[in-house]
Amino acid sequence: MKKFWRCFVCNDIHYGLKPPEVCPTCLVKHAYVEISAREAKTIIGNEGGSEFDREDFARAIERFMAGNEFKVNPDRERVNLLLTGILDNARNHGLKYCPCRLMSKDFAEDLKIVCPCNFLIHETYRGQDKGECWCGLFIKRQ
Amino acid sequence: MAKLIMFHGRECPHCRAMHPIVDKLEKDAGIAFERLEVWHDEKNAELMRSYKPVIVAKCGGQLRVPTFLNADTKDAVCGEMPYEKLKEWASK
Repeated sequence: MKKFWRCFVCNDIHYGLKPPEVCPTCLVKHAYVEISAREAKTIIGNEGGSEFDREDFARAIERFMAGNEFKVNPDRERVNLLLTGILDNARNHGLKYCPCRLMSKDFAEDLKIVCPCNFLIHETYRGQDKGECWCGLFIKRQ
Repeated sequence: MAKLIMFHGRECPHCRAMHPIVDKLEKDAGIAFERLEVWHDEKNAELMRSYKPVIVAKCGGQLRVPTFLNADTKDAVCGEMPYEKLKEWASK
């Protein structure tokens, strides 16, 4: 089961089965201690806050793709439509769900369709020369 | 006539691409789909979820749009496809 972990040096928070061996922020080894969900949420802040706007999310995915074998689809009209749908879903349904899938209403199951999803394992991407995620936001670099 | 449904998302590019094909199927072959948008209409979403076992079996294990469903035979196909392929499926 996934747990919360805190870096005792710089207070980075990690959520997962195991913590990182090296803290990505302060670079100290073996720095994470398990903490409660309550402590993690207190450190992160329980107040909710606002979701990314279009520019924030566009910047986030540009940075995300920079080190990867895929890129954002150069079709700007398609991307704009998808960003509208993704952010509408964040506003209306709580998370940035893919506009080309539908929530099953099982929260754990539906985490698999939060954008970016793990499209590397999908049949539309894996093993395809011109692979793309289901909605076409991300495509394989040629 | 079989009850055919197209579940679609308003901001789904694949769905947008399929609407003219569904229009053409209706006009040229008299095959009509009831088109139900699922991200902005919770009743439609619930209906699509009610067919989850049928849909996920045919659609990569997920609820995807566009999904074309024959509510009588419980057959489904999903994704963007050429006119002839949708016509062949709808005519089964």
